[in-house]
Amino acid sequence: MAKIELRNISKKFKDDTVIQNLNLTIKDGSFTVLVGPSGCGKSTTLRMVAGLEQQSGGDIWIDDKCVNDTPPGLRDVAMVFQNYALYPTMSVRGNIEFGLKNRGVAKADRDKLVKDISEIVGLAPYLDKKPQSLSGGQRQRVALARAMVKQPKVFILDEPLSNLDAKLRGQMRTELIQLHKRLGTTFVYVTHDQVEAMSMGDEIVVMNKGVIQQADSPMKLYNDPENLFTAEFIGTPAMNTMNMKDVQGLDIQTSVSIGFMGFRPEQALLNAGPEARGHVIEGEIVTRESLGAEQIYQIRARGGVFFVKTFLAPLETADRVKVTIPYEHLFYFGLGGERLRSGIEAGARQLVAAGGV
Amino acid sequence: MTLWTKLRPYGMVAPAIIVFSLFFIYPIFYMIYLSMFDWNFVSPTKTFVGLQNFRDLLAEEDFRKVLSNTTIYTVLTVTLTTGLALLLALWLNKKSLFHGFVQGAIFSPHIISLVSISLLWSWLMDPEYGLLNWVIGLAGFDKLQWLSHPSTALVSLVMVAVWKGLGYNALVFIAGLQSIPADIYEAASLDRSKPWTTFTKLILPMLSPTIFFLVIINMIGSFQVFETIAIMTQGGPINSTNTLVYYIYEYGFRFFKIGYASAAGVILLVIVGILTIIYFKLLSNRVHYR
Amino acid sequence: MLKAVNDTIGGTPIGTAAESDRVFVRSRQQALRRALRAVLQVVNYAGLLVLVLVFAMPFAWMLSTSLKTLPETMIFPPEWIPSNPVWQNFADAWNTGPFLSYFVNSVVIAVGILVLQMLTIIPASYAFARYKFKGSGFLFGIVMVTLMIPGQLIFLPVYLELSAFKLLNTHLGLILPFASSAFGIFLLRQAFMQISDELLEAARLDQAAEWKIILQIMVPMVKPVLVTFALFSFIAHWNDYFWPLVMTTNETARTLPLGIAKIREVEGVATWNTLMAGNLILVAPILLVFFLSQRQIIKAFVYNGVK
Repeated sequence: MAKIELRNISKKFKDDTVIQNLNLTIKDGSFTVLVGPSGCGKSTTLRMVAGLEQQSGGDIWIDDKCVNDTPPGLRDVAMVFQNYALYPTMSVRGNIEFGLKNRGVAKADRDKLVKDISEIVGLAPYLDKKPQSLSGGQRQRVALARAMVKQPKVFILDEPLSNLDAKLRGQMRTELIQLHKRLGTTFVYVTHDQVEAMSMGDEIVVMNKGVIQQADSPMKLYNDPENLFTAEFIGTPAMNTMNMKDVQGLDIQTSVSIGFMGFRPEQALLNAGPEARGHVIEGEIVTRESLGAEQIYQIRARGGVFFVKTFLAPLETADRVKVTIPYEHLFYFGLGGERLRSGIEAGARQLVAAGGV
Repeated sequence: MTLWTKLRPYGMVAPAIIVFSLFFIYPIFYMIYLSMFDWNFVSPTKTFVGLQNFRDLLAEEDFRKVLSNTTIYTVLTVTLTTGLALLLALWLNKKSLFHGFVQGAIFSPHIISLVSISLLWSWLMDPEYGLLNWVIGLAGFDKLQWLSHPSTALVSLVMVAVWKGLGYNALVFIAGLQSIPADIYEAASLDRSKPWTTFTKLILPMLSPTIFFLVIINMIGSFQVFETIAIMTQGGPINSTNTLVYYIYEYGFRFFKIGYASAAGVILLVIVGILTIIYFKLLSNRVHYR
Repeated sequence: MLKAVNDTIGGTPIGTAAESDRVFVRSRQQALRRALRAVLQVVNYAGLLVLVLVFAMPFAWMLSTSLKTLPETMIFPPEWIPSNPVWQNFADAWNTGPFLSYFVNSVVIAVGILVLQMLTIIPASYAFARYKFKGSGFLFGIVMVTLMIPGQLIFLPVYLELSAFKLLNTHLGLILPFASSAFGIFLLRQAFMQISDELLEAARLDQAAEWKIILQIMVPMVKPVLVTFALFSFIAHWNDYFWPLVMTTNETARTLPLGIAKIREVEGVATWNTLMAGNLILVAPILLVFFLSQRQIIKAFVYNGVK
């Protein structure tokens, strides 16, 4: 069990600054997910925690110990790699106990640990097989077992599910969540897939271009994004955003300059009655994706193309539709993409009109 | 980083580098040095003669004959081996047990000692009782003198070299053919490409790195042909099969003209060096399809 | 194919005379084509057989000759089956020189070279593949030059060098120049470079020491390449004629190929029966090994047959 702290971390590859001044605290016992597009520095951050990459500046603390100069093997960190990195020349047992051997764990203890772990992850029948003869899911389990058997303070997982097919990925996702509950150890997990991040993490760190955009719980990220990047990154489909220049007929009063407006596809209403009060956009349906319980429409309006998602509603067949977004579900962002939370009064005109009656 | 981790790589490459320096790099310079001296190997003094050895060599009738022999031998061997091997590869490129057996059969001479092959072919080419004369007799030809006549000796040596090298070359071509993804053929056939067009426009260009590799390897190998000549002809008859390495060998070990032999060695070094440079230039500039 | 299907579909209903005529013509064309294909198939296999003969016949001839009497070798047109196999030829060949010593020398030298090569190329190729160090480019340049310069070219200075070290006519003199192999380093470096970094990182997280990573994880992973190289090296040096010829002046360190070549000097030029018997002693083991591990050996040479 451990808390991890990154203080003023920076990383350069030759002349390329990948990460600058990164500060992050990973809570003890949390399932923290680092998520972001490829090349955002999430893997590099993770590898610096593991000690596989040396930071160019700043300190890394695991619990109350600065581990800047601790080699990876002594950081009490275990890692599950994207391609599993199983030793192909060793049996499953050999893979699992290699780390124990190197630590000088006695044979009897080793055997017991390997036996226990292999039962937990369901590998007991395969202990004497070579990894090459196992399926993708089983290899994944060997990689997990190899990490678990060392009883580390921190588990580091670098896109561990990206090589599995969709069905197995879903299954492993639940298994990892259960495993985390059971072990109570700190998990640090890297993925580029925001769905995976949202479904697994209790703490999500959104990164872009080496900078942390937002670190929060999944619901907070969804409901209350700090900036345009997070808003556009989280959600399926992601939040619709429009440049204010392209937005017409938006009835607000504001004291700040707004750069972008956004709304979530699932919060827009299609052809709502006059009682629905909000910003109205008229447009043409370009495509319909019917997924059964939900429908996703791609709509082209004068301001641009956006998505609308409806639940348990009949498929909209009309070509032209009126889309209403309630005012309370509109998000505003400044010219630099930062979230604007105050200074904007919505629907003033209609209120005045209502008051006039 | 500790001192040990800094020094470790040097320690690991040192044994190999020492061997190469002692037995390859240093001898090259030593040979260049020796080529400028007149020395008979026994006498304690070496006489500096500058470039005189080179001038003598190039003026000598025998040496020019040796150079032309070597060139003819190389050109014939390389074109025949590579060309026939390509045809064989196209023919044999199938994955069946029988084809595997045929491939093994034609490859087998490659792993046999050149001594054995030379002795065997000396016997096959025996002008009186050789099997080869019997075979061409079946086809209605007169007996040939093979190695014993100046007009046929060099070509006979080429034949042996082609026989030995053909299987290896064909198998390298087959490996090259098999590395061309099957969907390219499929795409070509969907585009209604004729077999000949597929071959010239797709297969040949994609094989070009393999072709260059084999041509250069065969060239470098042919330029230093020695064993077959030492065993089968000793350079004869009347110098018709004397080639560079055999020439150097004779001048060094029979006539003890070390400087002279070294100069010939330097010339061979320059030829091989140029070939190698051409190979890498072509490889990096032109032939890249993968 | 598609066309044929269309035709039959378009051809229904069958029944009219013209229709049945067309069907008949088509089936005759098909039969012709089938016959042609069969003929081609026969020609193809006949060609393959001839090809095999071109390569197998010389060896069969060697075997046949090795069992003949001297007069039998001087019959033309030749006879393939000797009336009375003369096994004595093999004993005669063996007795032309110190063949036991040749054999021992061949084994000592080929194995000695192989062992030293393994000891030098594994660490060197690993360092070139996996470490960044100053001057590695230059040092690898030395390897590449060695790879490209054929040894045959510099035998004279090497001879003088070995003579200065008093290593002529010794096993060591025939082993040391080949104690490392640029080809081996090249091949193995490639193999080491292909191993993913993740694996090394996993091992480092498993607290494995560097030497342990190399010996227990990396080397076992390149074992196929090592076997390939070992076969290549052993066969090359077992067969080598040039270096032992040049670097020896007496029998003490001479090898089998030299011994076989010498039969002719001892027995006279025309004793082809003894000569072929001796030749068979040299060739048979290699051919046997080849047909037992054909795939491995072909891979060894074709895989990356530089040199």
